[in-house]
Amino acid sequence: MAEMVLDVSGLTVRRDALTAVENVGFSLESETDTALVGPNGAGKSTLVQALLGILPPSAGSIRVLGHRMGPQGQLPRSVREQVAYVPQSFSVRNRCPLAVADFVGLGWDPPGLRLPWAGGERRRQAVAHALRQTDCVNLADRLISDLSGGQTKRVLLAFCLVRPRRLLVLDEAQAGLDSQSAEQFYDLLFQLRRSEGWTILQVSHDLDMVRRTCDRVLCLNRSLRCSGPPDHALSPSQLEGVYGRGFVPYHHRHVH
Amino acid sequence: MSPESPLLELLQFPFMQRALIGGLLTGALGGVLGSFAVLRQLSFFSDALGHSALLGITLGILLGLNPTLVLIPFAVLFALGVNHLVQRSQLPADALLNIIYSSSLALAVVALSFVRTYRGSIHQLLFGDILGVSWLDLGLIFSLLVVAIGYLALTRRDQILLTLDGPLALSRGVDVRLHRLLFIVLLAVVVAISIKAVGVLLISAFVVIPACASRLVSRHFNAYVVLAAALGGLCAVLGLLLSGAFDLPSGPCVVIVQLLGFLMALALVPLRTALDRA
Repeated sequence: MAEMVLDVSGLTVRRDALTAVENVGFSLESETDTALVGPNGAGKSTLVQALLGILPPSAGSIRVLGHRMGPQGQLPRSVREQVAYVPQSFSVRNRCPLAVADFVGLGWDPPGLRLPWAGGERRRQAVAHALRQTDCVNLADRLISDLSGGQTKRVLLAFCLVRPRRLLVLDEAQAGLDSQSAEQFYDLLFQLRRSEGWTILQVSHDLDMVRRTCDRVLCLNRSLRCSGPPDHALSPSQLEGVYGRGFVPYHHRHVH
Repeated sequence: MSPESPLLELLQFPFMQRALIGGLLTGALGGVLGSFAVLRQLSFFSDALGHSALLGITLGILLGLNPTLVLIPFAVLFALGVNHLVQRSQLPADALLNIIYSSSLALAVVALSFVRTYRGSIHQLLFGDILGVSWLDLGLIFSLLVVAIGYLALTRRDQILLTLDGPLALSRGVDVRLHRLLFIVLLAVVVAISIKAVGVLLISAFVVIPACASRLVSRHFNAYVVLAAALGGLCAVLGLLLSGAFDLPSGPCVVIVQLLGFLMALALVPLRTALDRA
């Protein structure tokens, strides 16, 4: 039986006195790629933030690699290190003077008190490896605030990759990317998923991409409306149940 | 310059030596904290803290207590209260801070009119009296500089992540709330202790200008923080020497030198860009 990387049960999350996510339960098996889909305002980002310990849940339980998350998102450090996150919008505040290599190194540094020079050679090697794997070597000395959307997403993947992780959570990773950049990003993500053995949970509006690359789909509209393989969960009848009557999915036309 | 030069003569006075050390330390402290405060959009917050300090000093005088000792807890409580208000309010932060700092300044000036026995002058409170800095003040400023550098260096990863993106920092296990509060408390204590030397009207310049100048020419985070501290210290020393040489007010002279440093950094930006492209 495959290992459970994430197990969510009866999860309810309130935001600004409103119930954004209600009684959601699902689990993710190791090395699977699961998409979380639903209309705007369905609670997808809220759910993701609760799973990462950013927002406290009002009810229910979250288990990551068998460890139950505390009420304020607490996880043992060794478990927290296994989870990586690619946010929806990563706008580098006020042009922070941070080079790409230094940023990726922050993904390697463990949390807590630590001498700034600790890690030295091992840190440098891990950063160089992550930059090579994401094709970002030529960006190493660039400021992260100077990167394009596609480059930023690749650098965020390097940030996740710089230490071995088990679970990767992506919140609308394709947001802000043109179709070619999105295609390149997903090709890279697909390669890394295989080579690194990542379990992926990704919020997406790109149903074509979900159909092509994901093993399983969770359809959310405050509560979980349906789940299963893409052929089942993305059928017209199921989509109408999630997005509402008359929903017509938009199809990308990719040029290869 | 002959040995009889008035400036060299001035440098032999202990008060001038203390002023130069005080300027160096206060400038460096402002640069270190400012480099994070500017990126976290706390520039206006430090301005509001500076203006409110006058109210804290006035309260100390009215209560018959040492104004500096009253100012530290006042500044910390004020900073925490304002931070709480800004987080909870639906009003834009800059508008809220404007209301707070202008009203605390007005309250302080009205309260000052009831003070009959204060030995200092309003001018000293507004623009500082770096020449009146004592060895005890220097010890306090130095200790604070060590604490600030130690805290920011040991939590470097957490500080940069929360400066970049709150949710990303939270997802990496950074205690964002705790670090934000600690930084604000540190900023408040620095403002409270530096007020005597710099004055309530100019304190935010010490926090903002060296950091902005450093940001214009820096490509790496560590270099940015170190350069901000170095610029802060250097501008303070040069400003004090200028003030001594031409018998001008010390605080404003320091800020004018900081401005010149900023303009020089601005002029270097095209050169920096050309070097990057080469």
